[in-house]
Amino acid sequence: MSSESGKKRKPKVIRSDGAPAEGKRNRSDTEQEGKYYSEEAEVDLRDPGRDYELYKYTCQELQRLMAEIQDLKSRGGKDVAIEIEERRIQSCVHFMTLKKLNRLAHIRLKKGRDQTHEAKQKVDAYHLQLQNLLYEVMHLQKEITKCLEFKSKHEEIDLVSLEEFYKEAPPDISKAEVTMGDPHQQTLARLDWELEQRKRLAEKYRECLSNKEKILKEIEVKKEYLSSLQPRLNSIMQGLAVLPRLECSGTIWAHCNLRLPGSSNSSASASRVAGIIVTQAALELLASSDPPASASQSAGTTGMSQGTLAASLPVQEYLFMPFDQAHKQYETARHLPPPLYVLFVQATAYGQACAHMKSSQPPRQDKTLSVAIEGSVDEAKALFKPPEDSQDDESDSDAEEEQTTKRRRPTLGVQLDDKRKEMLKRHPLSVMLDLKCKDDSVLHLTFYYLMNLNIMTVKAKVTTATELITPISAGDLLSPDSVLSCLYPGDHGKKTPNPANQYQFDKVGILTLSDYVLELGHPYLWVQKLGGLHFPKEQPQQTVIADHSLSASHMETTMKLLKTRVQSRLALHKQFASLEHGIVPVTSDCQYLFPAKVVSHLVKWVTIAHEDYMELHFTKDIVDAGLAGDTNLYYMALIERGTAKLQAAVVLNPGYSSIPPIFQLCLNWKGEKTNSNDDNIRAMEGEVNVCYKELCGPWPSHQLLTNQLQRLCVLLDVYLETESHDDSVEGPKEFPQEKMCLRLFRGPSRMKPFKYNHPQGFFSHR
Amino acid sequence: MERAVPLVVPLGQTEVFQALQRLHMTIFSQSVSPCGKFLAAGNNYGQIAIFSLSAALSSEAKEESKKPVVTFQAHDGPVYSMVSTDRHLLSAGDGEVKAWLWAEMLKKGCKELWRRQPPYRTSLEVPEINALLLVPKENSLILAGGDCQLHTMDLETGTFTRVLRGHTDYIHCLALRERSPEVLSGGEDGAVRLWDLRTAKEVQTIEVYKHEECSRPHNGRWIGCLATDSDWMVCGGGPALTLWHLRSSTPTTVFPIRAPQKHVTFYQDLILSAGQGRCVNQWQLSGELKAQVPGSSPGLLSLSLNQQPAAPECKVLTAAGNSCRVDVFTNLGYRAFSLSF
Repeated sequence: MSSESGKKRKPKVIRSDGAPAEGKRNRSDTEQEGKYYSEEAEVDLRDPGRDYELYKYTCQELQRLMAEIQDLKSRGGKDVAIEIEERRIQSCVHFMTLKKLNRLAHIRLKKGRDQTHEAKQKVDAYHLQLQNLLYEVMHLQKEITKCLEFKSKHEEIDLVSLEEFYKEAPPDISKAEVTMGDPHQQTLARLDWELEQRKRLAEKYRECLSNKEKILKEIEVKKEYLSSLQPRLNSIMQGLAVLPRLECSGTIWAHCNLRLPGSSNSSASASRVAGIIVTQAALELLASSDPPASASQSAGTTGMSQGTLAASLPVQEYLFMPFDQAHKQYETARHLPPPLYVLFVQATAYGQACAHMKSSQPPRQDKTLSVAIEGSVDEAKALFKPPEDSQDDESDSDAEEEQTTKRRRPTLGVQLDDKRKEMLKRHPLSVMLDLKCKDDSVLHLTFYYLMNLNIMTVKAKVTTATELITPISAGDLLSPDSVLSCLYPGDHGKKTPNPANQYQFDKVGILTLSDYVLELGHPYLWVQKLGGLHFPKEQPQQTVIADHSLSASHMETTMKLLKTRVQSRLALHKQFASLEHGIVPVTSDCQYLFPAKVVSHLVKWVTIAHEDYMELHFTKDIVDAGLAGDTNLYYMALIERGTAKLQAAVVLNPGYSSIPPIFQLCLNWKGEKTNSNDDNIRAMEGEVNVCYKELCGPWPSHQLLTNQLQRLCVLLDVYLETESHDDSVEGPKEFPQEKMCLRLFRGPSRMKPFKYNHPQGFFSHR
Repeated sequence: MERAVPLVVPLGQTEVFQALQRLHMTIFSQSVSPCGKFLAAGNNYGQIAIFSLSAALSSEAKEESKKPVVTFQAHDGPVYSMVSTDRHLLSAGDGEVKAWLWAEMLKKGCKELWRRQPPYRTSLEVPEINALLLVPKENSLILAGGDCQLHTMDLETGTFTRVLRGHTDYIHCLALRERSPEVLSGGEDGAVRLWDLRTAKEVQTIEVYKHEECSRPHNGRWIGCLATDSDWMVCGGGPALTLWHLRSSTPTTVFPIRAPQKHVTFYQDLILSAGQGRCVNQWQLSGELKAQVPGSSPGLLSLSLNQQPAAPECKVLTAAGNSCRVDVFTNLGYRAFSLSF
């Protein structure tokens, strides 16, 4: 059968194919070109349903043919064999078809399997992906729940309530307009505020801790002192054993107090009590020894008291109570001449009053005014020995003068020099006053008393907290000679305030005191007043007595004046340093007085002599008005813009800044312009000189000079920019108008708009 | 010249301030009282001082009598202009005109009788009043200044009746033509305008700076002073001081002086002028300089002739300007003394 099917295969295929041409060609292809027929490809082209039909039909045919063959065979006959043969061929063909179908079915099955497999694999892959995605989803869900469950730390922080927050927090933290609507920002702001407050508290805590540490240490030290007091007190007790009953009891009481259990505060009070009592004792001793007329017994007491004080010295030292030192000073003060004594007492009193007013701390630590006595006491004592016969000669200089001439009579031919020296002799003791300013610069004043002239003089010296490095060519602002000049108007300290002195000078051939002032110090009027000396001009008095009330009434104002003087001088010093480099040092709190853009600039700032100032052609008015005295300082400033040069001659009164610097101007631009030929230059002078109060800046207006110079630069800008343009001249204006002005000219004298209006920034007329 | 001897007495704060104030004082305006015995002077600080001419001119005059009888703060700004009616002194400066009674002014603590402000179009800066002019015929006052307009005020009712517009910059000066009710005004814009008061119209305009004879471009075109004598007008300022024939509006005489003039007036057959420079100039109508009388101020802004018939002994010329002094000329050729603030 198989051999039959092999033979019949091709036609069957061709037939069953339904596309004989193609089948032929395919076959010829496989035979001729070596390409083989692909049954797999055929499968795709055939419909399985029809194949199934074909299969059924073939099977039926086969059954029929078999049945016919059987029928024929059973009938038998001759022609039967042919018929059977025919039938066999037919059935062979059908077999072939079946075979073919079988193969196709196989191929289909395989294909189906392949497909299934493929699909399965795909499904597997999808499944895997699904698994992955599911996992991811789960993970994300977990994350989300985690996030949802997250609790911010800040929720645990106990914040201040909302109203309180808006009430107390500074606006740069609370930012009410932003945070009111936005709860998130609000919370942030509140947290900021919390942080701020916590930081502050932490700082405070640290401070308190360190304070505590310090206090503990102090207590420790004090305890040590107290414990070491015992032996010393014993020694005092021994010293006191011989003294009157009162002092002893006092000291013993102190002693008892000191033996109290040494808790920190009680020890302080104990020490104070002890100090008071020791001083009491000392003072009482002093009082008893005061009248020098009393006899030897009292002298003995004094000696003893000094011994006691010596013994109590270490105690005082330990208790920070330099009563003995003070006492020594008072002791020395007794040898001061009356005016210096008045000064000493009043200055000490004022200093203590000031210190008490300022703080309740121990007054000795940080006082602004300290008083001391300098010089040798012995010399002073020696001075007082002989005058038993002439008690009043230290006040009555005429008498003294007579005395000296009497004494010198035998050697009348002696040089005048000796006489002069004698006349100008100073008392060996002097009073030192140290006046401390806020910025730690100190004014040292040394007061002398000229015994024979009955006047007081002062020498001044300024020491600054920080070294002033910049070399100042512009004047000697802080020189001892001039720093106190004209503290009160007209008080230049060159002439003697005592009218009687002139006659004394005539006798010894001194023309004026001013030749000796550098050596002796300046006899300012206020110095005499601080010493309680008053020399009335109208009715010359025979004797001038040191007066406490006069000194007291002048002490406070003078001290204040001295302080402002030193401060203003230091401020000037600083300003000069930058002015010399052509910088006008406008401070930020004065910036509002000037527009932002100032083109004119300072070129030069130099000091000039008084005579040179008097000779300048444009300063005549000031000289005529009597404002250019020789006690003033004189400067020349040069301000430039383009081709325009503005010279400014400046008079600086020693009373700066209560008395303003005075400017006179001379503009060199298209000819020389001064106040006599240009109304606007005159107006500019008026702006800086008369309207200076606008330029003072914050109190105490030390910046006045700087502001005036800057104002002058602004004025020059305005002057040049508003200058009317001459139409007949070719070319652009040299100074284009940049300042905003409402009007260029106003009034009969065609004033320019010199007034600067601050926030709006325009210029208008005054 | 009896200049005060330079005092070398050192001064305190207030004295220095006062000295500086005096030094930078400018007297803008003067006016003689109707009785002719007093002179009012207004300065740049808004003060008015009343001087007694009769006391200063009397034979037993002392240094004291050259000081003001009374000084008071009249305005906030400078007192640019003053005129006297037969009872009142009218002063103006910073946008307001104030009236003071001559009879009461010599007492202490004088208050103004009334004050008026012309209707200004609102602006950032209150315009100043540079010139006042009395029109006796219709009993009115003309004010002119910073707002480039002439305002007419009825003195009877105190209301502002007319506004004359035309100037393009602020007005410096006014002058009245006596015969016909016409007013001349000169301003910063360089024009002299002639106004008819009946019709309130501008009649004539002379743009002085356009005439080659008198134009001086380097000084600007502003007209600072103006005086008229019906047919003739003299004006000066940036352009040269020039005499004009009004009807033909032609310049007839140009006076040869370089400095800008700030005040000019006809006096008999002379023209008196003053301005930058120390001198009061006297001119013939032909243009010859008759005399130059030096005063004490570096620049003069106003001249005042006391011609009140009531006080013939006080017939003087006074001149004031860039100083605190008012120079008094008893006759035209000689400065007798100075009154001082």
